[in-house]
Amino acid sequence: MLVADNVGMQFQGLSALSEVSLRVPAGEIRGLIGPNGAGKTTFFNCVTGFYRPTSGSLSLDGRRIDGLHAHEISVLGVSRTFQNIRLFSNMTALENVLVGRHAKISVGGAEVASDRTRSGHRIVDALHTLPGIPRALGRGLAEVAGAVSRPPQVRTAEREAITKSRELLTAVGLAGRENVVARNLPYGDQRRLEIARALATEPKLLLLDEPTAGMNPQESAAMVALIRRIRDEFQTTVILIEHQMRVVMGACERITVLDYGRKISEGTPAEIQRDTKVIEAYLGTRAIAGQPHAAP
Amino acid sequence: MRETARRVRQRRAEFGRRVPSNVRWLIFCAVLLAIPFIPFFTDAWIQMFFFVGLYVVLGLGLNVVVGFAGLLDLGYVAFFAAGAYTLGILGSPGSAIDLQLSFWAILPLGILVGAVFGILLGLPVLPLRGDYLAIVTLGFGEIIRLFLVNRDDLTNGSQGISAIPHPALPLIGHIESFTEWYFFILVLAVVVAVVTSRLRDARIGRAWEAIREDEDVAAAMGIDTVKYKLMAFSTGAAIGGLGGVIYASHIGFINPAAFSLQVSIDVIALVIIGGMGSTPGVVVGSFILVGIPRILLLKETGDFLGRFNWLRDAINHGVDAINSLSPWNLGSLPPANVWGTEIADDTRFIIFGALLVAIMVLRPSGLLPSRRRQMEFEHPTEAEVSPKATLA
Repeated sequence: MLVADNVGMQFQGLSALSEVSLRVPAGEIRGLIGPNGAGKTTFFNCVTGFYRPTSGSLSLDGRRIDGLHAHEISVLGVSRTFQNIRLFSNMTALENVLVGRHAKISVGGAEVASDRTRSGHRIVDALHTLPGIPRALGRGLAEVAGAVSRPPQVRTAEREAITKSRELLTAVGLAGRENVVARNLPYGDQRRLEIARALATEPKLLLLDEPTAGMNPQESAAMVALIRRIRDEFQTTVILIEHQMRVVMGACERITVLDYGRKISEGTPAEIQRDTKVIEAYLGTRAIAGQPHAAP
Repeated sequence: MRETARRVRQRRAEFGRRVPSNVRWLIFCAVLLAIPFIPFFTDAWIQMFFFVGLYVVLGLGLNVVVGFAGLLDLGYVAFFAAGAYTLGILGSPGSAIDLQLSFWAILPLGILVGAVFGILLGLPVLPLRGDYLAIVTLGFGEIIRLFLVNRDDLTNGSQGISAIPHPALPLIGHIESFTEWYFFILVLAVVVAVVTSRLRDARIGRAWEAIREDEDVAAAMGIDTVKYKLMAFSTGAAIGGLGGVIYASHIGFINPAAFSLQVSIDVIALVIIGGMGSTPGVVVGSFILVGIPRILLLKETGDFLGRFNWLRDAINHGVDAINSLSPWNLGSLPPANVWGTEIADDTRFIIFGALLVAIMVLRPSGLLPSRRRQMEFEHPTEAEVSPKATLA
């Protein structure tokens, strides 16, 4: 599924990620943990195309995705939620999910997934997009014409998208909240809505950035159940950034630990709990001598 | 002030409950259709309504860019000029490319040229956001105007182009009278309003809205933000081009002076005053910014204000008294019948400025805001209150 090979991300001399390699097999729920500033969200930003990694490669099902645009990666099947909730706050719950359906709603002509491959050179990449311009113009014109004239297939596509979006809202437990404006939803519901919106893109790989942040133990437990159910029902692979150890240990099959942008450990929850390197990263070196059984 | 606004809103809500919205629309349309047949409205009035309609078309076009996609474009006049000169150059006898095509043959070309200019402007400015975008588009508008002045082999420079064709219709013949022009712009404004509201309600409108709300997240949801921003630019520009064609044909003569920065400012101001993203807002904004100054210039307004010469005399007596006592000379008020023209010509921009400030303070979402814009202004998002948290 996802293979990261020696991924590095440098910001003007500051190394946020270096030589991070990991493989996440299909269907797994992987935990990504580490102290603040370890590079967890940076890793998500690299996988989703928000950042272009400065070294190494990322591939999804054997296909290079590093260097592609965020929307292209989304169409290829990677979707995410955000640490600080980033909903379209003035749109309703249903509209938020409908935006997630964007690439799945066909408007006058099938939307083709990008066939762009990464050459590694900015100008070469730009030249590669040139032959696509007439086609893009044609599709743009078709979309405007379709929106204005509303032929039956456009209306059907819209209706189907609405049905599907309602199903997704029901799946995350937001049935009946369709027409509530996102900013007016309670905090926990906003987190659920972000997940529904991410699922709307039909991801193969779902990246959840601290889905239980700010939740009490009951809410967190419900979130863990939801994540497991999503994996089973939607057949997605999940990578989860999490600080609450109870959640990580309860939800994840394997855990990867980052510290200062490097991978320091990987294994099952039980293995991670025993790993001295991990304890050191969280609690400092003295802690090992003093409290050998301290859980991270 | 706030109290009054609340009461007005309450009364409006009550009115809304008594009269269903489709009935209100019917009344509104009936009034619009009846206007040319009311004897009170002379040709000058009808022409005023025509210009209100023209600016409604322009406002609706800019609304796509600014209101829907959230891209602040201060160079909208460029597309207006592109449409107008397309008709001028291709349609006027004796112009550089004298094809003498009919109005109807050039209309789609004008729209197309507008759209192409929209893409040309859009491509280099796409990575820019907010203020930077506004400045670059402002420059683009000026570049186009200077181009029109300097490429006189093509545009006849500041001499301008005259004898621009009028549209011909079966049965009616050429559109000449003010009433015919009025109906022409009315039909076009309705068509443009339907087109933009359908765009807003479709997938493309949702994509624009998502981009306006959070561009990065929109991209993460599979929206090609570059493509959709270009589409917003070119759709808005195409409507601007359409407005330009109509304007050139109605006036019959164009020169670069008609395409100054002032047009861009008028259109953006009417969109803001009316309420960004809102179609009724554009109509109201256009009436206030374009209609009222023209009403002030009418002869009837002068005659009406002439009745207030007693007031002018009284004020002047008072001012004279002050003048005789103080070292400063405050001058005196002009005759009452020219008050309207004085305001429309000289004081207009001061009043516009004050109006804009007042709207921003009292009703930042505009007079008739779209539902969503209203929410945005009443509940600023976290990002607007505190510095936006970075991605890392």
